[in-house]
Amino acid sequence: MSYFFQIVVSGVVVGSIYALAALGLVLVYKSSRVANFAHGQIIAAGAFITYFLTVTVGIPIFFSFLASMVITFFLAMSVERIFLRRLIGEPIISVIMVTIGLGSIIDGLIYLTPFGTENYSFPQFLPQAPLTLGGVSISWTQLSGVIITFLLIGGFSWFFKKSTVGISMRAVSDDQFGAMSVGISVPRVFGLAWATAGLSAAAAGCIIGNITGLNFDTLHSFGIIVFPVVILGGLDSILGAVVAGIIMGLIQQFASGYLDGNWGLNGTGDVMPYIILLIILLFKPHGLFGVHEIERV
Amino acid sequence: MKNKNVLFLNALLVLAVMFAFTATANAGGKVYKLGMSLAITGPTSDAGNPYAKGTEDYFKFVNETKMLGDDTIDCTIRDDQYKTDITKRNFEEYLDDGIVMYLNYSTGSTLGLKRDFEEEKIAVLPASYHAGNLDDSNYIFLPVASYSEQLVALSEYVVKNHKGEGKAKVAMFIHPSAFGRGPVDDAKKAVAAGLNMEIVEVVEHGKDLDNSAMLKRLMSKDVQYVLSHTVQSPVATMLKDSARLGLTAGSYGEAGKLTFLGVHYTGGNDLIALAGDACKGYVWTCSFNLTSEKNEGTTKQLALAKKYGRDDKAANSHNYAAGIMVAQVATEAIKRAKDAGLEINKENLYKTLNGMNGKNSYSPYTTIGPVTYSETDRAGVDALQIYSVQDGAFKKVGEPIQSEYMTKIK
Repeated sequence: MSYFFQIVVSGVVVGSIYALAALGLVLVYKSSRVANFAHGQIIAAGAFITYFLTVTVGIPIFFSFLASMVITFFLAMSVERIFLRRLIGEPIISVIMVTIGLGSIIDGLIYLTPFGTENYSFPQFLPQAPLTLGGVSISWTQLSGVIITFLLIGGFSWFFKKSTVGISMRAVSDDQFGAMSVGISVPRVFGLAWATAGLSAAAAGCIIGNITGLNFDTLHSFGIIVFPVVILGGLDSILGAVVAGIIMGLIQQFASGYLDGNWGLNGTGDVMPYIILLIILLFKPHGLFGVHEIERV
Repeated sequence: MKNKNVLFLNALLVLAVMFAFTATANAGGKVYKLGMSLAITGPTSDAGNPYAKGTEDYFKFVNETKMLGDDTIDCTIRDDQYKTDITKRNFEEYLDDGIVMYLNYSTGSTLGLKRDFEEEKIAVLPASYHAGNLDDSNYIFLPVASYSEQLVALSEYVVKNHKGEGKAKVAMFIHPSAFGRGPVDDAKKAVAAGLNMEIVEVVEHGKDLDNSAMLKRLMSKDVQYVLSHTVQSPVATMLKDSARLGLTAGSYGEAGKLTFLGVHYTGGNDLIALAGDACKGYVWTCSFNLTSEKNEGTTKQLALAKKYGRDDKAANSHNYAAGIMVAQVATEAIKRAKDAGLEINKENLYKTLNGMNGKNSYSPYTTIGPVTYSETDRAGVDALQIYSVQDGAFKKVGEPIQSEYMTKIK
């Protein structure tokens, strides 16, 4: 039975981290309807900034972590201001192409540093002995990842539901012209959406980097790995990202635990989430919590 | 008449200048062009980057110390970001430049350009030790034993040192690519040829954040040894998960636990940095000397890195040693061809490499054994050293080994 529960715990851990990594994509899409293909690069940048501040500058890792979130907050805001602001009102595909280009530029910039090519790891700052209960174990790294994920996601949910800025961001998401007509600054909302996405990406990068080690190739691939999570959750739903992330994590772990190695199957942990995604999308094309917009002519 | 004299003097002057230039050129010696294409950025650049530094530094050293007399080696090194199309373009441009030998990198591009190497009849030293590189190929020379040979030798090591009753139960943890899959078939052939172990499962990993399910599954199948053939990062994550779950063997082959072993690209200092204490006891095969086991070769390697201002990380990397090694082999081939009075061209370097055996074998300071090539043997260093992580560093375990079963299954 501990085998089953271990898989459940691992699935929830992995799913939570997917949800956090997906959060940035949701935040940008929620306000601007743009899929950000440079998200993985921002995840990696956040992780490397934390490493740099901790190891090179010598700041305690907790403060480095906070500082990297602040830095990526402003970094992402600057990116929006410099590259994307002028594309407001342009076709969405143009904006998406710019995010792809942006990803290449950030790739190039990171390749200019040693972080682009070498492996690093954060100094150990959490207890090494795992927490074990009834044969089920979870490492402190994983547990802290889950806690940070739920704190951030809870915070963002509150922000969008209760704060004036959050509500104005939702208003922009629903109808840009309508939002403008009531005095909401759409460019400011876009900037904030990118900034908050940058902040969550940094958090995700640090957590993933603490588990896998800091390797640029691995870190930035999570920008793509979590796309199915976002699609399954319904592109613009924070709750959807959380639920879909955990579903994906659980499917992955259960497939790996029960299907792989049997009946000649292998690698189902990587494939099954996509199969389930396709099946769910057949019945719910807008994802589990996506908004189904009805346009009346 | 006066004009004629001036004209004659001018002509003499031009001739004198031309002669002087020619003489200077001869004094400068010949320049032998080589080309290298590898992943300095992009996937696997954690290996490619120090590899490129090793090659670059050694050729600089050859030229500065006049190892080839007045002749020099001009090796252009270009980044291909692990993309075969860029590798192909680089290779074609190198051919236009008149290279006499080519240094390649990835398994994918080596397999992809195999036909081109045959057509151009140019000797190639790749960083990929994939045994499939040698199939239907005459011009690819593996620097060291193939991944297959390493995995089979490691399997033999498992069988010889197996603790417990019955067959050793093994799982393979491999990269989801041709690079990862190739050697598994050879390990299966070795088992079919009588190697007393059971391959319970072959796991192709993804970008996993948690390997608990996989590790628990292997335990439920009584797997005792996990043999990895991939890169360091997924191995590090697996080792950390295994340690967290309390599944890692405290000593080699401990019953009811997992003992982890791996081939060339799974180990090295990066694995220790990534996995920390979780990689204690990890067993690894490598054909290169490691700076954690100091000897004359590693002293020279560190001196070279210091001379050219490399940081400690690059200097101590076995990939830096591997990069030096291919440059050493290329330089040695040129030197021998030159000493034999042969013109330095593709054909003669190919012949020289094929003659690098017996008393003519070559022992670079970077490897644990000599490089031997012939028309029927294109894997350079056949010997493998088993290393194990002890006190935070890879330490030698016993004497170098060689696979017995590879000859049986070839």
